[in-house]
Amino acid sequence: MKRSRILVLSVILTLLLASSSGVANPGGKGDSNRDFTCGGSCHGDPSLSSPSSADIQIDMKSTAFSGTATAVSISISGMDLSDNRLVGIFLLGSKNGNDDHPEDHGWQIIQDPNGGTSNYVEVVSSDASVTANWVLLAPIEEGVKEIFASIHHGSMYNPDNKAFSGETEGFIVNIDPIPENYPTLKEGWLSPDSRVSGDSSAIIIKTVNTESLSVLWKLSGESQSHEASVDMVADQEWEVLLPATLGDTRIEYQIIASKGDFSNQMPWLSMGTSEPYFDGTSLGAKLQSFSFTLIILGFMLSLQAWFAPRGVRKLIDNTNEVEELISEEDSDYWSRLIASDENPGWLWDPIEKKWVADPNFSGDEQ
Amino acid sequence: MYAIPFHHMIVGLAAGAGTLMGLCAFLAWLSNYVSNLESSKSTLDKASYAASILTLVALPMAMFSGYYSDSDPTGSAILYNKFIFSGIAIGFTSSYIVGRARFGSDLWDHSALANLQMLSALFSLTAIMILGSIGSKITLGESTLDILPFWPEFMNSIVINQWVSLFLLLIGAVSVVFSFRIVGSFKPISDLD
Repeated sequence: MKRSRILVLSVILTLLLASSSGVANPGGKGDSNRDFTCGGSCHGDPSLSSPSSADIQIDMKSTAFSGTATAVSISISGMDLSDNRLVGIFLLGSKNGNDDHPEDHGWQIIQDPNGGTSNYVEVVSSDASVTANWVLLAPIEEGVKEIFASIHHGSMYNPDNKAFSGETEGFIVNIDPIPENYPTLKEGWLSPDSRVSGDSSAIIIKTVNTESLSVLWKLSGESQSHEASVDMVADQEWEVLLPATLGDTRIEYQIIASKGDFSNQMPWLSMGTSEPYFDGTSLGAKLQSFSFTLIILGFMLSLQAWFAPRGVRKLIDNTNEVEELISEEDSDYWSRLIASDENPGWLWDPIEKKWVADPNFSGDEQ
Repeated sequence: MYAIPFHHMIVGLAAGAGTLMGLCAFLAWLSNYVSNLESSKSTLDKASYAASILTLVALPMAMFSGYYSDSDPTGSAILYNKFIFSGIAIGFTSSYIVGRARFGSDLWDHSALANLQMLSALFSLTAIMILGSIGSKITLGESTLDILPFWPEFMNSIVINQWVSLFLLLIGAVSVVFSFRIVGSFKPISDLD
């Protein structure tokens, strides 16, 4: 009983400690589809968030035709950002904490500020302000609709690791009935978010009520626009040739759908550049790396063999030992010889039994 | 969790050892032509030899730690290039060590072998510099070597089919075995008349 109490208390204590040390994703969570303040979690908690000093403005036409493309621009200024300069921006149809996505209110996101189709994006602001643009298809249902914007970000001085949140009031948009035969994009068509680097293949645009289509393009940051080549490949289906892009380049394009004398100039869309598909594998990289190692080693060893000096190996010099041996043998030999007074100048060898001339004898001794 | 800091530490070690190996080998080679360096030749040779052994230990460890510090270590050409240049650096470093071990410190007095050793060390150092530049490109987005007008494009890589790589590996292994047998018959230069 006592042990189980201790166990329960330990678990509770651990959970309490874990909750107090948590912070709500200061590095961001990436673009995605989210409700207001992520559905009330983390940044919705008053103990983890504070009001942002930012000024948030929504800029869009107050009237849109049902099912047609329209642009929403959200301008944020006066922020005090953290070191990573990251700002999370929500585009919302309501602020209930659930079902807040614009698509829950009839809107369709054709493109978000980062080229995707999310209602929540994270952008890096080089200064204290940022502008994010969404392109939407207006709801089919006519009437009054609202668009909201919300943000969250960190702060340079933030000892409690709080999120700073801001939000707007609803921006009212009147959805009017679409004029008869109004040329526009087909419902469900999505702008491609990126093309592979160097890919110049055509993009397909689907429309309704369109007799002719023209497309202007420009590189992101340029002011001068150019007209793209457009071919109709099927009924209300158009093939548009945009130039290939490389590196981090984004290309922007504007679709102008026309019927008779009436033209519908749509918002600028953008398309990023993705890295080409790479077919290298982990095993292939290891094999290639190891084979390069062995081939280089083999080649260099062959060169070493080629350049190696081919001298004769030094013979072992035993001269000293031989000389010492000889002198030892000589001393043994001369010591056994016996001098004789009868035969001066001669020494008697008792082993070999013969007379040997004395090398030290001189005639003066006689 | 610790793969990234460990990789940073080992990469620093490999780069430092590789630089020491390359510079000392170059100065040892230069001592044949610059009389002021003649007295330091033995020291330079020993420093280069020791640094090359450390480089050979550090490079595979850098590859290993780098492999585990990225979620997709061969998912792009720039990361694939790291494997290739690591293999090149290990190849040249190994040949430097084998040459030095086989022929002894007197190889610096033999012109052709001295040239070969110096080139092995410098090629290894160049491969290590390219590896560092690639790492810098990945983490910082730029590298000091970007200022060179002829710097190769690391966004592309030469990917050889796995079977071709395996075939090359076998050829390499056979050539190494034969080369070792030939080089093994040679004696240190100090033992020759």
